[in-house]
Amino acid sequence: MNNAAREAILSSIRFNLARSVPDEENPVDLENPVILSKTTSPIQHFRDNVESVNGHCIITTDITDVLSQIITNLRAQRIAISDSPEVERLLQATDLEIEELGIAPDTHDIFRFDVGISTAQAAIAETGTLILDSAHERHRLVSLVPPVHIAIIDASRIVETLSEALTLLRKDKEISPAVTFITGPSRTADIELTLAIGVHGPQELYVIIDGSS
Amino acid sequence: MNADERGSMNHLSSETFKENARAALADVHLRGALKNATTLFGERRKEAAASLPNWEDLRSQARAIKDEALLHLDRYLEEFVRNAESRGALVHWARDGAEANTIICTLAKDRGARTVVKSKSMTTEETHLNDALEAAGMQVVETDLGEYIIQLAEETPSHIIAPAIHKTRGQIAELFTAELGMPPTDDVAQLTSTARATLRDRFAAADVGISGVNFGIAESGTIVIVENEGNIRLTTSLPRMHIAVMGIEKVVPSFADLDVFLKLLPRSGTGQRLTTYQSFITGTKRRATDEGPDELHIVLLDNGRSRMLAHPVTRQSLACIRCGACLNACPVYQQIGGHAYGSVYPGPIGAVITPQLMGIEKTAQLPYASSLCGACREVCPVKIDIPRLLLHLRGEITAQRKGNTAERLAFKLWARVMMSKSLYKMSAVVGRLLQHVVPISRAWTSGRDLRPIESRSFHDRWKTLG
Repeated sequence: MNNAAREAILSSIRFNLARSVPDEENPVDLENPVILSKTTSPIQHFRDNVESVNGHCIITTDITDVLSQIITNLRAQRIAISDSPEVERLLQATDLEIEELGIAPDTHDIFRFDVGISTAQAAIAETGTLILDSAHERHRLVSLVPPVHIAIIDASRIVETLSEALTLLRKDKEISPAVTFITGPSRTADIELTLAIGVHGPQELYVIIDGSS
Repeated sequence: MNADERGSMNHLSSETFKENARAALADVHLRGALKNATTLFGERRKEAAASLPNWEDLRSQARAIKDEALLHLDRYLEEFVRNAESRGALVHWARDGAEANTIICTLAKDRGARTVVKSKSMTTEETHLNDALEAAGMQVVETDLGEYIIQLAEETPSHIIAPAIHKTRGQIAELFTAELGMPPTDDVAQLTSTARATLRDRFAAADVGISGVNFGIAESGTIVIVENEGNIRLTTSLPRMHIAVMGIEKVVPSFADLDVFLKLLPRSGTGQRLTTYQSFITGTKRRATDEGPDELHIVLLDNGRSRMLAHPVTRQSLACIRCGACLNACPVYQQIGGHAYGSVYPGPIGAVITPQLMGIEKTAQLPYASSLCGACREVCPVKIDIPRLLLHLRGEITAQRKGNTAERLAFKLWARVMMSKSLYKMSAVVGRLLQHVVPISRAWTSGRDLRPIESRSFHDRWKTLG
């Protein structure tokens, strides 16, 4: 890399910091604990918040049945799934006739699918957010490119706050190459501030919560 | 069209701020659009802030984290770079915009890139990267819907988070019909899906994806990018190479710090609890068969930022998280919009950052584009004292004699008058007599109202009241 630039920038930072003094009018005050809101049921809270950002959320003990219904209603023919064995198992347990099934399709193939299915490794109730982790599952394209994303999550993996979720992420010493937070379907308000759902990512997001455990 | 021609066609200059502002004030359509946008964003921000019990604490905490990071910026940057590189990223250092553009163009050219997709990045607007890539023979496609619209229109962003806020759906429809062959419609859903379909082809063809960075986490070497549309995820997932352009001030110490910033940034920007997507990217994929680009390059840009560390007042500017709240709150921005500033960063934060990045020679009018009302300071999620910064910069401009000579002399004279009771009394009498006969300097009143001097001074009234 360009060592001259690196040294020049670092020495400029050091030189300018050395010239400066702390700001008396804005003293550093780190003692401000974040207040965590606690609710009795993170699952309900999570569902409410997914729905508040235009997502669908179903709590069930029979995932196969719900999955089957959603795909039937969508009349989806081409289904892309992540490489999670659980998703494949669930899909096989349905008696759907699927025209084309792609397992973690790559850049060249992903664009032709109607639906993408993945699991999620965690979720945040206070914001209605799914957390997908590349170390567990190839989620990046199936959760993004098809017009519909279906995510399956175990109820026990829902935490209440963003703060808890960040702590969970950092608990593993080695952070994954790609962690994605997803809160509702893709949206934009770039034209006259008018909300449009499904600009670059999915138009529809279904979250199926496995409440059997 | 080359870069210079485009520049002269579309970029207003900060040097002509007063003229730009006057033209903007005469644009009825623009003012309507600005009123809608700034009012809506302002109300949403207010509601979102009120929904948290500890908004003020969060602001203080965010500022404290930024101050800590900035006061030890060399250390945190080195930590960030070490961790990012140990996970497969390659970090490049760029002293200025030209150096950053050269690094990026060379990377792209060396890989034989022809099509580059970009997600929204104010930092690459600052370096004018698109012009450099095009000059190097590449097709550059902005993929954020608002950025795509203004790229087609060959304009510049007028708001940090809503770049095409100045355009009506009718204008956008005309543009799409002319440029993309879309059948005429002004249905927003239709416009959006046309852009989606067109851009999907570009994503599929792209060799390189270029993004900005919202936060760089020192302890893990992670870059965090926030968005609503999904184009950042596509830009950073599909092409073989991802280049992330990051100002050196974007580094924060730890993952836990994001709890504060991810609460403040979306609420301050759009009033959302969280934007639709946050991408946390830490190095490259671990196995060749994994998803994602083969290469991740992070370009660290100084471009005048390290200079701002030298003074506690100017240093504050580096705490900015680019939420746009100060634009929406500013009575000046509300009336004239972003283009009039003639700078990449508009509004109150633009008026303080631009002179520091570009030098005050050509930007000396910007720190005066404010009534110092303090609305920007009230809404800033990281408590930047923008009015204090504006005054500081005005002081520098005056000290370097870059301001208006007549104005400087007038204030010198006024200072003398104010120092002497008798001179002051006399000036009030003379002023009262002459105010309707001799016009007060037009340079002062052309952009300001001047209330007539009261027929009796407070001092006189006090005697009778007492």
